[in-house]
Amino acid sequence: MRFQTASAVNIAAALVMAFAVGTALMWISGYDPLSSYSAMLITPLSDWVYFLSALAFSAPIVLTGLTFSLGLRAGLFNIGAEGQVYMGALGAVAAAYLLGGPAVLPLAFAMGLFLAVLWSSVPAVLKIWRGVNEVISTIMMNWVAYWVTIMAVSTVFANPLQPEESVKVPEPARLTPLVPGTDFTAAVPIAYAAAFLVLIFLKYSVWGYRISVSGYNPIAAKSYGIKPERAVLVAFALGSVTAGLAGVLQVVARPPSYSLARNLANVYGLGFDGITAAMLGRGHPVGVVLASIFLGIMQEGARHMQIEAGTPYEFVKVIQGLIILFLALQLLRK
Amino acid sequence: MIDLLLLQALLAATPILLAAVGEILTERSGVVNIGLEGLMLLGALAGPLFVDYLKYKVGAQMPDPLWPLLAILASAFVGIVVGLVHGYISTYLAGDQIISGVAINLFAAGAVAYGIQAYWGVAGYKQVPDWAKADPYVVATFALALAVFTWFLLFKTRLGIVIRACGEDPESAFNMGVDVNKVRLLATVAGSALAAVAGAYLSIAYLSVVTKEISAGRGFIALANVVFANWNPLLAIAGAYIFGFFDALSYWLQTMGVGRYEITRMVPYIATLLIVAGVMGRAKPPRALGKPFKRE
Repeated sequence: MRFQTASAVNIAAALVMAFAVGTALMWISGYDPLSSYSAMLITPLSDWVYFLSALAFSAPIVLTGLTFSLGLRAGLFNIGAEGQVYMGALGAVAAAYLLGGPAVLPLAFAMGLFLAVLWSSVPAVLKIWRGVNEVISTIMMNWVAYWVTIMAVSTVFANPLQPEESVKVPEPARLTPLVPGTDFTAAVPIAYAAAFLVLIFLKYSVWGYRISVSGYNPIAAKSYGIKPERAVLVAFALGSVTAGLAGVLQVVARPPSYSLARNLANVYGLGFDGITAAMLGRGHPVGVVLASIFLGIMQEGARHMQIEAGTPYEFVKVIQGLIILFLALQLLRK
Repeated sequence: MIDLLLLQALLAATPILLAAVGEILTERSGVVNIGLEGLMLLGALAGPLFVDYLKYKVGAQMPDPLWPLLAILASAFVGIVVGLVHGYISTYLAGDQIISGVAINLFAAGAVAYGIQAYWGVAGYKQVPDWAKADPYVVATFALALAVFTWFLLFKTRLGIVIRACGEDPESAFNMGVDVNKVRLLATVAGSALAAVAGAYLSIAYLSVVTKEISAGRGFIALANVVFANWNPLLAIAGAYIFGFFDALSYWLQTMGVGRYEITRMVPYIATLLIVAGVMGRAKPPRALGKPFKRE
């Protein structure tokens, strides 16, 4: 893909321009850009607890960023991570509902990943058999996942004690904070390890090579005896494993609730954050991790921004959109 | 009851038709804009916000029917601005059109949530007052007329031949003296304005509310309709009506008390998937779609 040629200079320029336009927007809407940005970017770095919390925010974004990156490698624009995260979280909640005790943990991973893979198989199969554009099919699957999950959380898996959330993961099955008093759980090292595994897969495995070749040039791939359809299938499946993992971890490793919010607040938007991370990280697993840490800092910072400067939390998403817009603008001017 | 459903389907079809007709115009010129969803969102916010500002902050007095018209124009203006950005990136800067479209969607999702919070001070939900509301049937009629007009423009006029040439064979168009990038930019601006108006229709005519998820995938359903219609505005009327039918059906089933509302809300998305899977094989996009034109 073209975006991999975007240089670090391009990325820096895109960031600067996005923050500049953001300043203008903030000023027009009557907020103080200086104190907002300082709360968003500096406060999270000023304190260990805040920084560890920023890393906790980065973990699911790394995983959904990998989903999008794997798709790009195969020449796909897979925006289905969002729905697959819901499915992963749903699987984890189902495990908590079915079992008790520590056995919930392995079952949560098994069911969450299974549902996520199942979800991604629909756009994959439609793409291969009918040539359906994955942008449309994955968005539709995201919406179906949204309503399926909301229904499940408000009926079968509803928590009778707390109507705003699902049943909780029992205590022995939780991944609790590694540093007491923070949100920093095993989810963070797991996510970074997943990025490392994807890197190894892309660089050294036969399938990683096949995906890259068929994404780069499907016609050449055929002449090498690579079936692009199977590369598409593998990229979709592996991407859904990382997205599903993000969903599972948001339930089993996210203090204090260890459940799925009824309005999906703790999983909503992670798929789209992943797109930003993948673009900023140029589709490279290491780049995705670095970009996710940056986005994690911004998300942690946005909470402080809302308190310190009164600027709405959603401003972070405005900046993310602007960054990508400027990245798009830079790309072909190599 | 059934006749009510069929009438509701016409209203549900309107935003999909407006955005799809705009996108057909854009794609026929060779530019793809997957930012329709975001444009709808921005349009849905811009109209009510502008007239609210004019009435309460500026204190403007105006005969009542003018307010909704102004709201629609304000949305169209925002669509034009975003269309200029996307069009300029897609043509003169030869940027990546898909990435730019994704950026529009992400930006809009944030900007609308932020805008509702920043302007009205409420989290994600604002009722539209009666004085700002437009008659949905008027907009629906306008959308139908526009689809017919766009078909006429594309297939029966000289300008239409020029636009289609830019999407099919920009080299030849250029050699015939056509300014390919200018045509593409203008077609993108027009298409984006229509997508934003589709959003204004949602907020001030159809749903009477501004929310941060008001478009709810309709922009992508409109993209599906472009494929379904094989880039023909007349067929897009039929397509929009089919998609609109399932959208209306989901609300209709809900009021009839059939099944849980979460299930009925899935209907339009599942229907879109099935319809697109069914027609995809025969779809023929313009040959130069999504490819920047560079003079040799």
